Amino acid sequence: MMDLAVSAKDVTKTFGKGPLAFQALKGVDIEVGRGEFVLLAGPSGSGKTTLLSILGCVLSASAGKVQLYGEDISTRRESEMPRLRLSYIGFVFQGHNLIGSMTAEENVAFQLQLRGWDARSSKKEAAHLLERVGLGDKIDRKPEELSGGQRQRIAIARAIAGGPPLILADEPTASLDAKSGLSVTEMLKDLARERFHTVVVVTHDSRIFHLADRLVHLEDGRIVST
Amino acid sequence: MAAEAEDRARAAAPRAMVLVPEPERAKPLAGRAPLLVRWRAMSLAAFRMMFHGKLKMIGTLFGVVFAVILSNQQAGTFLGLLKKNTMLVDNAGADLWVIPPSAAQIQAGPTLPDAVLMQARTTPGVAWAEPLLYGGGTVKSANGATEAVQIIGVKLPAMRGGPWNMVAGTPDALAQPDTMIFEDSQRDKFGGMNLGSVRELNGRRVRAGGFTWGLVPFGPAFAFAEYDLARMLLGTEPFRVSFVIIGTEPGSDPKVVAADLAKRVPEARVMTAEELRSSTVMYILTRTAIGITFGTAALFGLIVGFVIVALTMFSAVIDNLREFGTLKAIGATNGDLSVLLLVQSLTYATMGSLVGLAVVSLMANGIRSPQLAMNLSPQLFGGTFVVMLGLCVLASSLSLLRLRKLEPAMVFR
Repeated sequence: MMDLAVSAKDVTKTFGKGPLAFQALKGVDIEVGRGEFVLLAGPSGSGKTTLLSILGCVLSASAGKVQLYGEDISTRRESEMPRLRLSYIGFVFQGHNLIGSMTAEENVAFQLQLRGWDARSSKKEAAHLLERVGLGDKIDRKPEELSGGQRQRIAIARAIAGGPPLILADEPTASLDAKSGLSVTEMLKDLARERFHTVVVVTHDSRIFHLADRLVHLEDGRIVST
Repeated sequence: MAAEAEDRARAAAPRAMVLVPEPERAKPLAGRAPLLVRWRAMSLAAFRMMFHGKLKMIGTLFGVVFAVILSNQQAGTFLGLLKKNTMLVDNAGADLWVIPPSAAQIQAGPTLPDAVLMQARTTPGVAWAEPLLYGGGTVKSANGATEAVQIIGVKLPAMRGGPWNMVAGTPDALAQPDTMIFEDSQRDKFGGMNLGSVRELNGRRVRAGGFTWGLVPFGPAFAFAEYDLARMLLGTEPFRVSFVIIGTEPGSDPKVVAADLAKRVPEARVMTAEELRSSTVMYILTRTAIGITFGTAALFGLIVGFVIVALTMFSAVIDNLREFGTLKAIGATNGDLSVLLLVQSLTYATMGSLVGLAVVSLMANGIRSPQLAMNLSPQLFGGTFVVMLGLCVLASSLSLLRLRKLEPAMVFR
């Protein structure tokens, strides 16, 4: 049996009820091997972000079975989700979603502290990670003082902080220019290789397709190619 | 374009999964951190968010400061008024008071037979007993203006219940014929009264022999006279007294002495000083609109403060909804966010209370006068602080309700 990071079988997701119900996912099957760098691509409304949300334990599937590293998350109660997210997942969001009132170092250290690191070691590790993403001289800067590419690099540092096995990224290049977008994605891939993270990236940015180990296409709530 | 097409073709081609050997660190993490570590992290986030949104913080603090000032100003003024009404009881130095049965507080009106005084002096446990005369008077100044006073007649030489807090002259001046001691803060109202000034009071010419300061109850100021002079001024019948004040012997229980004396004087009411003080306060609270008026204003201040704090905190949460969603997505629980809001609300309560109490103290000093003296006690300050803590925590619950419903999936929209 293949050593899987992510396994989703016949996953459906319906929003709303009755005549207004909308089925965003219509029986999706996907497997992601440990250490893979997978891109989920597809047009707007194809269900790729919905799928990412379910894999990220921030949204429950309406039906189907989802496993992360062998642990069935589809039967978990909502109150268990924060623990699952902390245990398995680092997020990179489209708009970086850093805490604006915190410095770069505090943003990363905060994630580490949620994962159980004490204040001193989290600060040290945060500085190390920021150094690794090329922002060693900007650890005391707040997000508003940095460029979009730099913010996204902080977001990557935060996502890998503490070493979650799975990194989920939602359109990480959407708000960046071509050069920055490519650079950020390459950095994410390098870090994932170096630190043995499995990565699933939602994107419709074809300029980064070549970086994928595997490209999965969704259309109208179904996987059409993988 | 060619490169792009190549990428697409390459990516679309079916491929085998690329498996990377997994080291120890790429396994599920331990999960949630210990509570103290999480609380510390959430506290830091709370402070950072508070001080980042300075306008919101100032708005929230304004709410707390407003509530603290208004509630303390009203409560302090009310307590000051209560103190004014009990000041004679507080300063007479008596353990027991014998008052007319119909009286609930120190007030002019029915008198007692002076046989009560004799009964009191012969009651076991009584060290001393003295009569007091109490009633209204009108001072007429040279220009014909009149000003009301409350005359207190005290017996020489002990002058129990006599003048205190004197700023000019001495109580002994009462021993001089037709001499009285007046309230210093009312001298202008008495027509520019000075030591030695002569005024007409209830149709009799009296001389100012001294001045007290701050002896203005909730009504006309006190004016002290020797007992017989007071009788003439008030027109009190012979062998009648307004009150009898009593000091008990050391070691005797005032309540026991009061009970004993009460049996001897069924025509009067015997109360300990504490009972009379409480009775006065209860009278004001239940028989006048003062308590309701001040209580309503204080409550209004708290309600307005609560609304401001609740709305500004809620508004701050709405403004930062995406950040809170992010916190949830990266592993913060509703409990963690409760800690964050709790820290913020307690900080707002502490900072706002400190500022508000400082301002109200300055206000009290600025407007302090014999007519209006706010009674800002440490108990009132402590009570205010506790109420504000509760109020701010309650106000933050509105924000918490919103955050509990916040779905972390919103960060992907």
